[in-house]
Amino acid sequence: MIWTAASTTAGDGTRYALVDVNNFYVSCERVFDPSLHGRPVVVLSNNDGCVVARSAEAKALGIRTGTPWFQLAPDADRHGLAARSSNYELYGDMSARVMEVIGSHGAWQEVYSIDESFLGLPAASEAELLRVARAVRADVARRVGVPVCVGVAPTKTLAKFANHIAKRNDHLAGVCSLGSLPVHDAAALAERLPATEVWGVGSKTGHKLAGMGIQTVADLAAADPLRLRKKFSVVLQRTALELRGTPCIPPIDERADAHQIMFSRSFATPVESAAQMRDVLTVYGQSAASRLAARGLVAEVVGAFAGTSRFASGEASHPSVAIPLESPTADPITIVRAAAGLLTRLAPEARYSRAGVVLSGLSPAGSIRQDELDLFGQPEAAAPGGASADVRPEQDVSTVLSSVKSRFGKSAIGLGAGGVHRQAAWSMKREYSSPRYTTDWADLPVVKA
Amino acid sequence: MAAESSPLRPRPATGFASPAGDYYDGGIDLNRHLIADRTSTFVMRVTGRSMAGAGIDDGDELIVERARSPRDRSVVVVVHDGELVVRRLALTPDGPVLWTEPRPPELPASTHVGGELEVWGVATRSLHRL
Repeated sequence: MIWTAASTTAGDGTRYALVDVNNFYVSCERVFDPSLHGRPVVVLSNNDGCVVARSAEAKALGIRTGTPWFQLAPDADRHGLAARSSNYELYGDMSARVMEVIGSHGAWQEVYSIDESFLGLPAASEAELLRVARAVRADVARRVGVPVCVGVAPTKTLAKFANHIAKRNDHLAGVCSLGSLPVHDAAALAERLPATEVWGVGSKTGHKLAGMGIQTVADLAAADPLRLRKKFSVVLQRTALELRGTPCIPPIDERADAHQIMFSRSFATPVESAAQMRDVLTVYGQSAASRLAARGLVAEVVGAFAGTSRFASGEASHPSVAIPLESPTADPITIVRAAAGLLTRLAPEARYSRAGVVLSGLSPAGSIRQDELDLFGQPEAAAPGGASADVRPEQDVSTVLSSVKSRFGKSAIGLGAGGVHRQAAWSMKREYSSPRYTTDWADLPVVKA
Repeated sequence: MAAESSPLRPRPATGFASPAGDYYDGGIDLNRHLIADRTSTFVMRVTGRSMAGAGIDDGDELIVERARSPRDRSVVVVVHDGELVVRRLALTPDGPVLWTEPRPPELPASTHVGGELEVWGVATRSLHRL
């Protein structure tokens, strides 16, 4: 059959490893709070709404992702269940560490999400591939302190499949190279596991596939790729080809893929007044602008949107507006002004539960000397008589802003409402948050002496 | 840790290029001095005085490297009863022993590690406010 030998040993010998962190959010919390080891732990979504991550013990209790916290809270103590609010400062910092460690083991790396990365491994013997995979796992555990699983195979889709096998078979100790599995074992797994276990095959597609008699991973690998393309999409055709061992999922090019930078959040309490919404846009505009600057990009368009809750009574409202900037910029003042200026067109006539600021028309900073090309821009360098420093004083302000932030923390200084220390009512509810252990001097983990 | 524009960096001279410009390479960088490996280095806040004799006082900031292998006499952060604890490690023929190092005249206390010793990391520096 198509599945067996070709799937595990195809190609030019180079291999993809898919490395992901087990229960990433929970694992991050456990590094700094060892009392969470061996206990059921859940991490809650924004505003402590529902479960977004579970420890193995929490899964064993039958707690499902998406369960509202208010349903679990009454019995939490009886089960020894611990809850934490999402601590994105911590997860972001730990993710950066994990990705750097993983990347040091491969020929190339493609970070896929906050807790998953593909790693390119040059052609090598199966024994060598396993050695590298085990080294990645040990190195991440030693340096960062979180557990990872590693799946190795000739294509990304198969690497995901191998990772899946590594996760569910304790005797593999978190590492599976498809080529090291006895051929009949891999085939048996592919015949047993449903097609929906394959990367990129959702339940809706799975339903339709089942209608065509394609039930298992092996069925999907054996299906006619052209038929899949006609009935579904080129994406599913690629998936089937990848299951046969032909790499055809292109790398994610971050630059080509990132068309916009968005900063959006749900509010703890609905925003109803224009004054509150101005504060929201000011704060979110600054956050979006610092992401833009951190990536070395400039934006041409500033947009804003707001939305009412899906669960609220009354008419739903989801306004979305955007305006072009005079010239591409990363200047936070210009961006915040533009975002706040959108307020009049985003008039809060509803109880908004969510809003965001979107920067688009992105290009690398300095790639075009816009001030030289733009007739209406103000050419700094060309200004005669040494007056150039006064032309755009705002550029100095933004430098000061970012240096103060880097020295004294994100909330030390800001523009307008971005400068308030006190948490506004609409800012995110994080009742069970752990400290920002790795990003804030005031929040360091405590060690007893 | 990203290289950002430092407020200390000399401003470009408007008239003549500074003769020192070519020699300026960013000044003293505490990250480079204190952190050998940024992926595995963490900072912790010390509470308690049982390690004051080792120069680790209450309120100090402790730089801890997870990647470093503990040796005899290393100052280590260990996991004990669900907490992080800093101690001096002695590797004896009878197994690992953890020592406190209080400032004299208090007497140090030792703990023989029965089961498996879970070393979180090796402490390399204590940042002490004067």
